[in-house]
Amino acid sequence: MKAIMFVELKKHLQDKGLAFWMLILPILFTVLFISVFTTGDNEAVNQEIIQSIVPGYIVMFVFFIMISMVQVFIKDRDRGMTARLASTPLKSYYYLLGKWLPFTYIVIIQIVVLFLFGKVVYNVSLGQPIILLILSLFITFTVTAIGLAMALTVNTENMGIAITQIIALGGAMLSGLWMPLEMMPDFMQTIAHFLPQYWAHQSFQDAMAGTTQVSELLQTLGVLFAIGAAAFIIAIIRYPYFLKRAVK
Amino acid sequence: MLTIHNVTKHYDKTEALKDVSITIPGGTCYGLVGPNGAGKSTLIKMITSIIRDYEGKIEFNEKEITDKTKQKLGYVPQEIILEEDISAFSNLQMFGRLYNLKGNSLNHRIKEVLALIGLSDRGKDKVSTFSGGMKRRLNIGCALMHNPDLIIMDEPTVGIDPQSRKYIFKMIEDLKTAGKTVIYASHYMEEVEKLCDYVAFLDRGEMIENGAISELLQQYAIPSIYVKGSGILQDTLEQYGTVSQEDGAFILYTEKALEAMEHIISHCRENRLEVERLELVHPRLEDVFFRLTGSNLRD
Repeated sequence: MKAIMFVELKKHLQDKGLAFWMLILPILFTVLFISVFTTGDNEAVNQEIIQSIVPGYIVMFVFFIMISMVQVFIKDRDRGMTARLASTPLKSYYYLLGKWLPFTYIVIIQIVVLFLFGKVVYNVSLGQPIILLILSLFITFTVTAIGLAMALTVNTENMGIAITQIIALGGAMLSGLWMPLEMMPDFMQTIAHFLPQYWAHQSFQDAMAGTTQVSELLQTLGVLFAIGAAAFIIAIIRYPYFLKRAVK
Repeated sequence: MLTIHNVTKHYDKTEALKDVSITIPGGTCYGLVGPNGAGKSTLIKMITSIIRDYEGKIEFNEKEITDKTKQKLGYVPQEIILEEDISAFSNLQMFGRLYNLKGNSLNHRIKEVLALIGLSDRGKDKVSTFSGGMKRRLNIGCALMHNPDLIIMDEPTVGIDPQSRKYIFKMIEDLKTAGKTVIYASHYMEEVEKLCDYVAFLDRGEMIENGAISELLQQYAIPSIYVKGSGILQDTLEQYGTVSQEDGAFILYTEKALEAMEHIISHCRENRLEVERLELVHPRLEDVFFRLTGSNLRD
């Protein structure tokens, strides 16, 4: 498994496209939106907006890892790498873990870098860093599990990219990552409660402000884990079909 | 020794392989020959246990293929399947690690394989900068990292330059000398004839014939005579055997080739016909395939 993991990590770290999607673009969006929405004179309001935008764009952009996940699995399947590896002593579930785990590392690095950017440039408060870390680990699991399920289910890269856009952008809009949830109609606020982005965003904001309640935290972690686990089960169910197609 | 016992494989309603049995002696080079769709790649994927759902049995040294047995198998796929965005060294490192090579022994083996495939000076370069021939050699190198006893090559010379082809032939000769068993699937009949000791002909999923190449040539290939000249008539030649035409010349297939040549020479002298070229053609594996199937490999 380590053999696959090392190569994947090496490839990801050299991938300029991935760096753009995962770090540069969210930083650009964060800077742009903060400059647009903090033109008022009220410093306290401006800081409140920043405290919402920074975690909002972190949550939105972690979902873009799903594009890379789909690309990696579909490419491996179509160019024969999955089949070639099946001729080696590597067990099939080690292949899956070897491909999946590097993405979790990338997402954790992404979240840490973006929070540090917020801290250094906008002096955002990171009131409860341990809780932020725990939340980061859970959202990482949720996002990469959804990515894995999608990578093992879709037929083509284009299909995967399209679905990722719907999940990432649609979820961001409905979860209040772009604008305060209170400004949206009631039915949209209800929908938001079914989306991982909403829970992650709310809890990130609470942890940044240092106001996290244990019950609320557990609720968020439970929701994120449940969505991630459901996606992971779908991935496990789809995996044999993916392998069967890969060796044809 | 690799033994394939009565294997059959279906893809939905299509029968890709029908009751194929082959015994491949250790330390030999065994050719698998057949047109596209004959079932060569399917058989190879079954040997390497990429395909596992089939009827029949495949054994290597009298043991079924398991993860432990796979340590002794090296598979060179038909397509170039490498990680293009990392170096040749890293590719070999990955395949070495998959076979549990570590530390110094891994690094030492990478250097050995890079030398073997003639890429010692390009080890640190990204694979995406390599020529097709270099990628083909690295494709083979990855399968040799764990020094396997059985190397299975599926069309390893497709689309490469003559220099790389020569290099690959030399590698295969060296593997044979080192006592390795090589399975070589190809539809380049001349390559199989040059490299292999044994051959199995596959056509539409069935094994038509197999055995030592020298014996098959003796058994099936009819000697032929190449005749080119002006005024020589096909009817005249047909009294000695079967005649076909090729680029304005005649190919005469006959069991009594020398006798037929004498008659043709006499006939041409008597009738003052000009002979441009008259020669005895060495029997080829292609002829064996033609005799067995009634068609050429690349028809």
